[in-house]
Amino acid sequence: MTDIEKTIEIEVMRYHPEQDASPVFKTYRIPYASDQSVLQGLQYIKDYIDGTLSFRWSCRMAICGSCGVMINNQPKLSCKTFLRDYYPGKIRVEALQHLPIERDLVIDATDFINKLESIKPYIVPREARSLEQGEYLQTPEQLARYEQFSSCINCMLCYAACPQYGLKPEFTGPGVLALLHRYNADSRDGARADRMQIVNAEEGVWGCTLVGYCSEVCPKQVDPAAAVNRNKVNSTLDYFLRFLMPGGGESG
Amino acid sequence: METIKVDIAIVGGGGAGLRAAIAAAEADASQTIALISKVYPMRSHTVAAEGGSAAVTQAHDNLDHHFHDTVAGGDWLCEQDVVEYFVAHAREEMVQLEHWGCPWSRKDNGHVNVRAFGGMKIERTWFAADKTGFHILHTLFQTSMKYPSIRRFDEHFCCDLIVENGRCHGAVVIEVATGKFTFIQARAVIIATGGAGRVFRENTNGGIVTGDGMALAYRHGVPLRDMEFVQYHPTCMPGTGLLFTEACRGEGGFLLNRDGYRYLQDYGLGPPDPSPRNKAMELGPRDRLSQAFWHEKQKGKTIDGPHGQVVHLDLRHLGEKKLHERLPQICELAEEFLGVDPAHAPIPVCPAVHYTMGGIMANGETASPLAGLYSAGECSSVGLHGANRLGSNSLAELCVFGKVAGSEASKFARSVTSHHSGTLEKQAEDVKQQALGIITRSGGTERMAILRTEMAQSMEDGCGIYRTGTAMQATCDKIDELRERYRNLNIDDRSSTWNTEWLLAIELGYQLDVAQSMVYSAINRKESRGSHQRLDGYEQRDDVNYLRHTLAHYNGDAAPRIDYMGVRITKSRPGIRAYGAAGEKAEQERKNREAASD
Amino acid sequence: MSKRRPYVRPMDGWWLKNPYYVRYMSREATSLFVGVYALILLAGMVSLACGETAYNNWLMAMTNPVSIGFHLAALAAAIYHTITWFAVAPKVMPALFLAGKRVPDIAITTTQYAIAVVLYLGLFCMVWRV
Ligand SMILES: Cc1cc2nc3c(=O)[nH]c(=O)nc-3n(C[C@H](O)[C@H](O)[C@H](O)COP(=O)(O)OP(=O)(O)OC[C@H]3O[C@@H](n4cnc5c(N)ncnc54)[C@H](O)[C@@H]3O)c2cc1C
Ligand code: SF4
Ligand code: FES
Repeated sequence: MTDIEKTIEIEVMRYHPEQDASPVFKTYRIPYASDQSVLQGLQYIKDYIDGTLSFRWSCRMAICGSCGVMINNQPKLSCKTFLRDYYPGKIRVEALQHLPIERDLVIDATDFINKLESIKPYIVPREARSLEQGEYLQTPEQLARYEQFSSCINCMLCYAACPQYGLKPEFTGPGVLALLHRYNADSRDGARADRMQIVNAEEGVWGCTLVGYCSEVCPKQVDPAAAVNRNKVNSTLDYFLRFLMPGGGESG
Repeated sequence: METIKVDIAIVGGGGAGLRAAIAAAEADASQTIALISKVYPMRSHTVAAEGGSAAVTQAHDNLDHHFHDTVAGGDWLCEQDVVEYFVAHAREEMVQLEHWGCPWSRKDNGHVNVRAFGGMKIERTWFAADKTGFHILHTLFQTSMKYPSIRRFDEHFCCDLIVENGRCHGAVVIEVATGKFTFIQARAVIIATGGAGRVFRENTNGGIVTGDGMALAYRHGVPLRDMEFVQYHPTCMPGTGLLFTEACRGEGGFLLNRDGYRYLQDYGLGPPDPSPRNKAMELGPRDRLSQAFWHEKQKGKTIDGPHGQVVHLDLRHLGEKKLHERLPQICELAEEFLGVDPAHAPIPVCPAVHYTMGGIMANGETASPLAGLYSAGECSSVGLHGANRLGSNSLAELCVFGKVAGSEASKFARSVTSHHSGTLEKQAEDVKQQALGIITRSGGTERMAILRTEMAQSMEDGCGIYRTGTAMQATCDKIDELRERYRNLNIDDRSSTWNTEWLLAIELGYQLDVAQSMVYSAINRKESRGSHQRLDGYEQRDDVNYLRHTLAHYNGDAAPRIDYMGVRITKSRPGIRAYGAAGEKAEQERKNREAASD
Repeated sequence: MSKRRPYVRPMDGWWLKNPYYVRYMSREATSLFVGVYALILLAGMVSLACGETAYNNWLMAMTNPVSIGFHLAALAAAIYHTITWFAVAPKVMPALFLAGKRVPDIAITTTQYAIAVVLYLGLFCMVWRV
């Protein structure tokens, strides 16, 4: 059989707030080709079988962070997950776990965005510098200390992987804590003390019990678990330093 | 319908929109700014830019070099005063991004590193590994959170502008999650909605790149300028069109035909040095490289692939270490999408549509002919790119002209009084009814995906790398027909929460208008220039008749009205556009002439 | 009124829904074994303090097959816990840099195993030779 005649079944979570009490699953049979992504499968359904299926996507190249879904129970970017990895088995696609479902495969991302806004996700200069003075100097090693954490595409797969977030949505969560660490670890930044308050809070790093699945599913090797757990050490040091030096100290 | 009054409304939250928002917020903190984007801003397609952003940086480089590269690269269809402004401000914008946290790749001494890019005489492309656009976008997005006067309307879809008495008064938006309409009344509006590459079949653009803002301005009487100039990027993934950045060649990659031969030397781009020589061979400009592919294909020298003809992008000689350090995302894309490890095998590539040089007509201050309406970024035709954009000039453009748009709009908003809103609200109500019409009317028979596919195929056939009058006429006819059939669209989804099918239908309407402006602009340009190359007796550049910008004017259901405007020339008279050894010779001659005339 | 009605999925039985979570829960469960083992050791210390008979009784109890079974299980649990701990240790410690390059996680984990092997060899030498 050539690829053209082959088909594969996709079972898709459907939820329509205007008519469904809770999500249901619907199965579609689509043409199979080994180089087709699950996203292309969903697009085929929308274009040719059922125009009412809603999902987010844009770049198709694993960089915009829109297309995260659960595929056979694992959080994945649908644009870089391929039908060939499941064929001839069935594929089951659901909205990202632990996040409220708006409709079908679309989840509510406002919590993530609000948390991101809360961590001062920008450089607060350690020392002022005018544009005429040119760039801040930063060695490749200083860059390497935060670069990995700056690669977060905000896809929220790590939130779908984190049971603590599911149980306690106040938890700041892996992705945002990784971004917080990105700024704290940047040699140009001077707002570490402010951000440590978020780190130290109950909903900060201490909400994490080191399940570690977040780093496993991260499509960009950000390793949010490392950011969170290194900050447990920082948070502890910070705690003792504040004891020793009333008025606050800066920990390493 | 709710009306929200602001000073400045920005439609588009990509690099240009965000830069404009920050500039406006810094210009006047008391003004209110609405930043509207149909996706969360960090999903905007700026995120996909890989290679880098140009700015004169090294001691042996200067603004004149950047100017000449850009103007010659654009085949002299650039507004030269705009190019001068651009090259003079690019570096300060890159430094600004650095101050805001952009993780630019560094040299060992801590200074920012630069790399070579196609058509650029000297290395001046700032890069953040091969995720430059991603880092620029996230840096701008996160930095924008610092400014309380920027109010974001994330996942709000703009379905029209409100125009009265020759002035733009705001935009009507749909909240995607609920289908709720809001009229955002503004004293000044900036459009920053990005390009329109999705009107073509094989392209490097994300699903959201549908020319919305271009169509909106166009429908309100603002001409679209130079729309026939559409850039094909020579190294894309067959089948999906995903991009392998020019930086692959900047780092020293080769393009090989089926005989393993570096065929570019046969197209006036030689000599084939073993390591990259700027503006030669693989580092020639994109239009020339894509054209060379076309010729190789005609000669039967390309390679058969499952998704059509390809050539090979060979990076093996760069070695695994350098590849993973400088081009990590390229390695990831090749491995995951194609199963090719670039350290051990060449990557199959072919050209795909990448960039729309033309756009909403704007002057050097980003103002359109419609009072109160500004544009920046890929949707805008500020006059920088001419007939062909040089790689890495557009990320810099987002910042330089995003900033100009932000401060100009802020100035304009301060200078005018707010309009009494009664009549405007009525207009907004009409807009709403019209948008709802798509999902409330019944009896449609046309399937959206079919119309979209036919449009994209027809644009590829008629407005591809090489064009002929006959093929373009066929595309004109096809697009006219599709616009007709579009009225008879059938929509499955009639709900209001997250109704993406409805929004796709509105986007298809935008795309058809933009496509029409492109093909009509193209068929009327009876010469070959930059990315517009004809094979039907107009193979040469014709400066006598066509050293002019095309303007396409919206004409309702009929075809657009086409006319022309002059090109501003300040210091570079149109010359021969040559690359490789021939280019160096031509440049030397130009210098000698200049020296003689001094 | 908004037509939005986000659906929140229940969390019950979450730890069974993914093999990764099952492994995580087993890692957490190993602490039970370690806890019980510590209590048993404590009992041994107390019996030692109470005199020779008490201590001999405790030693006797330790040779009971149930006790041996428990200790084998506890050993397995402790080893499992150690393996998982070695695996996550690079995430907990500050990033290490050598000559400007980040030390990869795998190198840190391998080093821990190497140190563990050396220590155990030393321990065995002490116990068997001396
Ligand atoms: C794959 C790829 C690689 C590239 N690499 C480079 C490079 O290396 N160097 C370089 O200089 N250039 C590069 N470019 C070009 C450059 O990235 C783009 O030209 C540029 O990013 C466009 O930015 P923008 O802000 O104009 O638009 P975008 O980033 O596309 O943003 C458009 C915004 O408008 C919003 N929008 C659109 N329509 C609506 C609507 N109807 N309602 C509400 N909001 C709307 C979108 O949500 C989005 O926020 C590349 C382009 C591509 C595709
Ligand atoms: S840390 Fe990784 S998984 Fe989490 S949001 Fe960022 S990119 Fe996605
Ligand atoms: S579509 Fe952008 S990450 Fe998948």
